[in-house]
Amino acid sequence: MLNRLLRRTATAMSIAVAVAASASCARRAAPRSHVVLMKDVGFQPAELTVDRGDTIVWKNEDFIPHSATARDASWDSKAINADSSWSFVAETAGRHDYYCVFHPTMRGTIDVR
Amino acid sequence: MSIPLFHNRPVTLLGAALACFALVACKPSGEQAADSAGSDTMAAAMAPAADTAAPAKPNDAQIAHIAVTANSIDSAAGVLAKSKAQSKAVKDFAQTMITDHTQVNKQAVALATKLGVTPEDNDVSQQLQSGAQTSQANLNTKSGADFDSAYIDHEVAFHQAVLDALDSTLIPNAQNAELKGLLTKVRPAIAAHLDRAKGIQKTLTSGS
Repeated sequence: MLNRLLRRTATAMSIAVAVAASASCARRAAPRSHVVLMKDVGFQPAELTVDRGDTIVWKNEDFIPHSATARDASWDSKAINADSSWSFVAETAGRHDYYCVFHPTMRGTIDVR
Repeated sequence: MSIPLFHNRPVTLLGAALACFALVACKPSGEQAADSAGSDTMAAAMAPAADTAAPAKPNDAQIAHIAVTANSIDSAAGVLAKSKAQSKAVKDFAQTMITDHTQVNKQAVALATKLGVTPEDNDVSQQLQSGAQTSQANLNTKSGADFDSAYIDHEVAFHQAVLDALDSTLIPNAQNAELKGLLTKVRPAIAAHLDRAKGIQKTLTSGS
């Protein structure tokens, strides 16, 4: 009787551990925040790889306005003034090229995994 | 703060180079293409003259005045272009010129105030003003696509001249570290303006 109870308990615990482990594997790492500086009329870093759900924050450290505008027009910060920032949550996997509409020589890429 | 004076006569290579932009830029595009007068005139102005062996060496107060004058001129040209331009690309560019050059001037004035420097009028600034008046008068006679081309040609020549002046005279001669830093920080914006103006110039020339 005692043996049977112990066996059941062990089985239940094994299942619980397995389910927990499985859930842990399936769960993504907690969303992170990444900063892209707008500095010297450029994006720093110009290329960034993030996970879905991560937040990207563009901070303008120049004294002229800039934008972060997707080439495919799917997102657009509009003007980000000096000492201001704008953030965007990356939801769509893929490579996203963007630029500044005011200074088109400013180009960047966000790679969303 | 050390205040070196201009070497030789005050009408210098920098002044000649910056002042001639208006005359160069206001030539019709076709005319420029035909005789390459724009680049030739600019090159001639930048070449050493017999009586100006040394380059201009403006002091910090004069550099601040030249910077503020150049920014004000291009901002004013932007205001004119915003009201007269035909194409959206040219109008948008003009708005960026107004915004950016106004911001740069705010920084320049704030720095001069902080440093206790009174921007000092000089022959280069006066030549800039004089050239701008000629340029503005010429642009005022144009309309539609002709205006767009003339304005963008003007902007290409102006920003190229300013970039050259920053590299050859203004940044090297700035004595105060913060002034030098401001000019250095402005440089990429001028280069970006030049690239954008050249891009628009190309589309206007090709008619696309």
